[in-house]
Amino acid sequence: MAYSEKVVDHFNNPRNMGSFKKDEEDVGTGIVGAPECGDVMKLQIKVQDEKIVDARFKTFGCGSAIASSSLATEWLKGKTLQEAQQIKNTDIVQELNLPPVKIHCSVLAEDAIKAALNDYKKKTEEKK
Amino acid sequence: MTTDGMQKAPTKRSELQMARSMCWHCQSEITGEYFCEQCVKVQPLSKEMDYFTCLGLPRLLNIDLAALEAKFYDLSRAFHPDFYQRKTASEQDISLGNSAMLNTAYRTLKDPVLRAEYLLRLEAGSAKDIRTSPPADLFEEILTLQEDLEAFRAASDQAPAAVASLRTKLAADRELLEQRQRDMEARLLELFSRWDALHDRRPQAAPATPHSQQDKEAVLKEMRELLSNRTYLRNIVNDLIATTA
Repeated sequence: MAYSEKVVDHFNNPRNMGSFKKDEEDVGTGIVGAPECGDVMKLQIKVQDEKIVDARFKTFGCGSAIASSSLATEWLKGKTLQEAQQIKNTDIVQELNLPPVKIHCSVLAEDAIKAALNDYKKKTEEKK
Repeated sequence: MTTDGMQKAPTKRSELQMARSMCWHCQSEITGEYFCEQCVKVQPLSKEMDYFTCLGLPRLLNIDLAALEAKFYDLSRAFHPDFYQRKTASEQDISLGNSAMLNTAYRTLKDPVLRAEYLLRLEAGSAKDIRTSPPADLFEEILTLQEDLEAFRAASDQAPAAVASLRTKLAADRELLEQRQRDMEARLLELFSRWDALHDRRPQAAPATPHSQQDKEAVLKEMRELLSNRTYLRNIVNDLIATTA
């Protein structure tokens, strides 16, 4: 099965690839992995006034995993923390036309979003 | 473990799985054979039958590979589609289905890692929580290594001195990782033996205690962790090899 056009596009022109400094106060970092295939995904958000102003990812895995995380960073930008919490892996599957065997890649991206949000929440709570 | 012992005392599981069925052709009772005693027609393997039962082995992790192979050849001959060319369509279907299941069962059990993965799937219901927390340290390590690999790829065009020192560092990393892979394999085999000891059904074996359920879950959990970490490590080692080759 060939990758969909959108997957290929994200793979060839990944959006927001890179990273922020992990220990900065306004950055939330999520690192997750898929034990079935060994893919590792890092997703970071930069937050100002409860709003995600920027996002970055680094993914070491298959094309679908890279595309899922690239798309996730695009969607995250401009969202409030609460809105970001609502992003579902099924939205990613739909947008990228992922076949059943690649659904776990979208799950990984959702997990990474949740992990980044949690990390940011923990950081701000510790500050209080 | 001997094959003799297994034949004399088939596990309860295989008896039950076979006993509830009857011959699809003549409706007579089937008592644990692959062929009906009355009409001699081949019988389909139950879809719920696990691979261990299918190949006549107890559900243990250290298995007798010679016994596995012998049973596989034995059944392959019995079910092979070539021998059903002149039989009815139903028998041809059964021969094909049985052969396919048999091949998958054999491939799965022959390989120690696939065998362990399969056992974990089978046991998923009996252990409360085989899911493990993600190995955060390992992820960090992998990300750092991947960054080194990126630097290596970027430097390989222009800076020969930087390339040489990065190559030395990456080669050392690779050696350490490969040593860890070997340690993991060794630990996996230890866990195999621990699992098997907990399932020893011989009369002289220690009786099951409330602890043994906990022990089983602990073994399953560690095995799950080990197999996942093994996959992550394998990927990074492969990347290291491909990039520095």
